[in-house]
Amino acid sequence: MKYYPTIGIECHVQLSTKTKLFSEVDNDARGKEPNSCVSPVDYALPGMLPRLNGEAIKFAIRAGRAMNCEINASSRFDRKHYFYPDSPKGYQITQFYHPIIGAGYIELPDGKKIRIEHAHLEGDAGKLTHFSTYSLVDLNRVDTPLIEIVSMPDIHSAKDAHDYCKALWRAMCYAEVTNGDLYNGNMRFDVNVSLAEEGAKELGTRAEVKNLNSFKSVERAVEYEIKRQSKLLDKGERVIQETRGWNDATGETTGQRSKEEAKDYRYMPEPDLPPINLNQEFIDEESKKLPLMPKDYKEKFTGKIADDTLEVLLDYPPLMKKLAEIEDAKRVSNWFASVLLAEEKSAEYLNDLPTAKQLDDLAEMTEKGELSSTGAKEVFLKFFDPEMSKRDTKTIAKELGVIQENDLGELEKIVDEVLADPATKQAQEDFKAGQEKVIGFLVGQVMKVSKGKANPSSAQQILRQKLK
Amino acid sequence: MKIKREDILHLADLSNFSMSDKEIDSLGNDLENIISYISELNELDTDGVEPTYQVFEMENIWRDDEIKEQEATREDLLALTKESEENQIKVPKVL
Repeated sequence: MKYYPTIGIECHVQLSTKTKLFSEVDNDARGKEPNSCVSPVDYALPGMLPRLNGEAIKFAIRAGRAMNCEINASSRFDRKHYFYPDSPKGYQITQFYHPIIGAGYIELPDGKKIRIEHAHLEGDAGKLTHFSTYSLVDLNRVDTPLIEIVSMPDIHSAKDAHDYCKALWRAMCYAEVTNGDLYNGNMRFDVNVSLAEEGAKELGTRAEVKNLNSFKSVERAVEYEIKRQSKLLDKGERVIQETRGWNDATGETTGQRSKEEAKDYRYMPEPDLPPINLNQEFIDEESKKLPLMPKDYKEKFTGKIADDTLEVLLDYPPLMKKLAEIEDAKRVSNWFASVLLAEEKSAEYLNDLPTAKQLDDLAEMTEKGELSSTGAKEVFLKFFDPEMSKRDTKTIAKELGVIQENDLGELEKIVDEVLADPATKQAQEDFKAGQEKVIGFLVGQVMKVSKGKANPSSAQQILRQKLK
Repeated sequence: MKIKREDILHLADLSNFSMSDKEIDSLGNDLENIISYISELNELDTDGVEPTYQVFEMENIWRDDEIKEQEATREDLLALTKESEENQIKVPKVL
């Protein structure tokens, strides 16, 4: 039997504010010791009160705008109660009744629009590490600001689920509200999947797969759930409403044997945080700070950069920002694309991008024929070499000896000049007598006379001919 | 409103309380009294009345996004826990 899948996705995005949502503690715990970014507020010691981070509100406005969402002038915080060692307070501060971000949509590459139901601000939980007889708790992540983005059930295939997550990731990265590091959990996806018979009016019972942290795992988990649930329904069995875990190694979801009673979080208004009432001016001012989005770059570069190249490069927001400053974006984008594709460099490779000046100069030198395409590529790669990256393009090109002395006649004159110089007489005789390495000295003289402009390999070739 | 024993156990569970049988019995009576007292409010017509979320009439209280040096050190805070290991808080196994 053929079933029609319906998929809803909740996505948690860690905001990259300097401090946490409710305490003045470093929010960037990357590479830091456990429990080193923690305050008495995070420990929920008696009498400790949350102090809201105003920047998180601004980030939320930008994030909302990046998803074409309404921003709600009035929003509030609520307590969601649960007991688990990852949350010392015994509740999570979230926005259950009045979220800051209202309805909007995300557009997929094929033009489909996936509606956003709402998105809200909340604090993250701590991190647990499980051992055989105990667990360890690290509170560094407690109350890192999150926005939770809730989609409408507009997704109906594994591929669209993948594309939606990726489009969301891009939107959040370009909005500059998150570091967007999926490997380290900066964005996490909860995916619920249900099947209904073709043409049925009501949705089937859904199962939720929690805590997916890559687009690929979202896609595979949805594929798996569609197969699993189809099999159950074909056999006349029921799908149980439950939370399932994803195993990336086996490619399967498994039921988590938690008590399946309806959860009762006893939501209540957070009494320690007064409501947020934003005026339109404040919202507009923040909205204006939204940087260029992927669709803006597409408009800008259509016709200049090939569509498939652009699609690859759009995964690197800082790179797109850089390309927007470059004169010859077409040529420069190809260097980046070839490095990223052919050399399989990781995103970290692009952490320190070359300056616009370096890239413009490289494009110009290539355009003028001062560099061959191979030479240009060599120089380009040196932009990422920490030892050379700070130097200007010409210096690097000279150092590599890749500047072409295109006028061979000119080069020959220089060679003749060097050979006529009595100071090189001994070297010439030594070379003729079989001392190979002396050629280096002679090439050096040519380079010196040409003030570094000569192409050393051409110079050597001419020297060898003349000294035969 | 009749409060059943299971209701109390459920609420205790949600609040992570452990209670003796004696407490459970007396709490049932107390809760019934409290609820019947509060339920007098149900007689009021509150249609169109804005719910009260807070009573201080404050709004938009937020701080700048600046890191402040904390007086309490990691060691101070870990010392408050029952048990710690490798600078983490040690808790009974959960999953």
